[in-house]
Amino acid sequence: MLEIKNLSASVGGAEILHDLTLSVGTGEVHAIMGPNGSGKSTLAQVIAGRDDYEITGGSVTLDGKNLLELEPEERAREGVFLGFQYPVEIPGVNNAYLLKAAVNAQREHNGLDEIDAFEFLKLAKEKMALLGMDQKFLNRGVNEGFSGGEKKRNEILQMAMLEPRLAILDETDSGLDIDALKAVAQGVNALRSPKRSIVLVTHYQRLLDYIEPDYVHVLSGGKIVRSGDKTLATELEERGYDWLKQAANA
Amino acid sequence: MSQPDPLRAAMEQLGPDSLSELRARAAEKFGASGFPSTRMEDWKYTDLGLAKDISAEALSEFRADLEPSYAVPDIDAHWLVISNGSPQVGNFSGIEGVDVALLSEADVDLQYDLPLADLNLALLSDGVKITVGANTQVQKPIGLLFFDDVDAGSMVAQGRVVIDVGQGASAQFIEFHASRGDAKKYANVFVDLDIGDAASVDYARLQARDAEAVQTAHLNVTTGRDAKLRHFGLDTGGRLVRNDLVIDIAKTGADVEFNGLYLADKGQHVDNHTRVEHRVGPARSKQEYRGIIRGRAVWNGKAVVHKGADGTDAQQANHNLLLTERAEIDAKPELEIYAEDVKCSHGTTVGQLDENAVFYLRTRCLDADQARRLMTHAFAMGVAVRCPIDACATWVESRVESALNALVKTEAP
Repeated sequence: MLEIKNLSASVGGAEILHDLTLSVGTGEVHAIMGPNGSGKSTLAQVIAGRDDYEITGGSVTLDGKNLLELEPEERAREGVFLGFQYPVEIPGVNNAYLLKAAVNAQREHNGLDEIDAFEFLKLAKEKMALLGMDQKFLNRGVNEGFSGGEKKRNEILQMAMLEPRLAILDETDSGLDIDALKAVAQGVNALRSPKRSIVLVTHYQRLLDYIEPDYVHVLSGGKIVRSGDKTLATELEERGYDWLKQAANA
Repeated sequence: MSQPDPLRAAMEQLGPDSLSELRARAAEKFGASGFPSTRMEDWKYTDLGLAKDISAEALSEFRADLEPSYAVPDIDAHWLVISNGSPQVGNFSGIEGVDVALLSEADVDLQYDLPLADLNLALLSDGVKITVGANTQVQKPIGLLFFDDVDAGSMVAQGRVVIDVGQGASAQFIEFHASRGDAKKYANVFVDLDIGDAASVDYARLQARDAEAVQTAHLNVTTGRDAKLRHFGLDTGGRLVRNDLVIDIAKTGADVEFNGLYLADKGQHVDNHTRVEHRVGPARSKQEYRGIIRGRAVWNGKAVVHKGADGTDAQQANHNLLLTERAEIDAKPELEIYAEDVKCSHGTTVGQLDENAVFYLRTRCLDADQARRLMTHAFAMGVAVRCPIDACATWVESRVESALNALVKTEAP
């Protein structure tokens, strides 16, 4: 599904991603772990289409389609979803309005009619119940005055409504208490499907106790230095990242 | 005067009537002062050169008998029309408890110590006095429609309305400015609003003039004991616009809130000056103005808390969104406090759209234009929803939306 080949990216002349190669198959859940500054968030942002980064080499394709040629909204409509580490507050833009506009933009892209208002509300309420979100959040400004946990739940709500083919969740566990973490994990697990791939970007192993990955990769110095199954995460929890950094630099 | 004076010549076409003497005195004062200049602190950022030029041309070809021509906006109100400077009170249908009269037939003190007020009076064909009787609750808004429509040459129109809202009464007023036609147009409007003790007024000043029009508008409010005012101003049109809102709190318990939104496209200059005189306390004033600017705007909010006005609560906020690097705002909050026990605050921000938020919305399938428009719309409606008159709400929202569609264009900010 997602093929990243020899990807290099830099910002302000400094290379953040260096010759990175990663393949994510359909229906798989991958975790990308790594120390701060290793390029995890950059990778997530580059896939979603943030134009602050200069792509200096390599390719990113989704089912053979070159993502790097597409605008962020085109990628999103093609089924790429980025769950933000720091979801943005947009005062005055109604949460329900955004959800509906997003769903309709995607439907239009797929040649479908606009979603029926009643159907939309029913669906949104269903997904919110699953995430333990109060319905009042529908009528609030997007993330406006939301707590950290509420923001992350809102991200997963957007994901649930958009049903992406590829979801990249950037530090979805950061700033969450255990209840919020469980609710978010439950939301993500409910979206696991043989047709959907999920990439979890995380610093800590904690999230992986609740969302079990098929593969774990370690990113260091802008490239993947180690890949393995979920036991790699446990090993990292015990040994830290330094031994891998040293191995990568050698 | 030895030189032929066009102002005097124009003025003479308007009389003789009961206003003649006032006009003559005002003309003399204006002859001495002329237009306010940018050397004056209050006019530092707004050059009335264009108003002056249009006036000079208009006076040389002055006609007191311009036919009224107007279109009433789609807002449910009792409309009172002043078209091309001439009040059409005959078309106004009666409202119970509300008295409407021409100023030439009313006994009103019309004198101000302001050059533009002198100009207004010198060239005023007539104005309107509206009296809302004590304890009258007026249900439907009263609309003051200032509409200028002339096709050729230059024209200058004076509008003057004096509103007296009696004790315990409540009423809503819509001051609506619009224009069309190819003439160079300058409108100079003065409204006096006296809110009686325990009376309540909702007021919306909606300005939707054509792109070449010049306007100066002045609303002067005095509040009675425990009087309440909710005011909202919207500017979407005009080439050169200056609005002054002056509120004089001389009795305790006043509660005034005034908000505004100005959208200034390239080539437009929109200036809002507000001034609150807190002469006594306790009393409360609160204002928030927001601007979305591609051209040029000015906001100057002044609150003066006089000695002894203890218990004053004065808050002001002004937020501006600049759409391009060439957009310009001069924002100036001013608090002058001479009392002891007061609560005052002010905050001004000038910024651009948050590109991080634009990216966020794009990752949610919205295209860049849609994202920018959505955010700009939200910023605008954040203050426009505070328009206190429900009958205007739909008009305001659709006007804001169409103005923003023109303002928020594809080019990157």
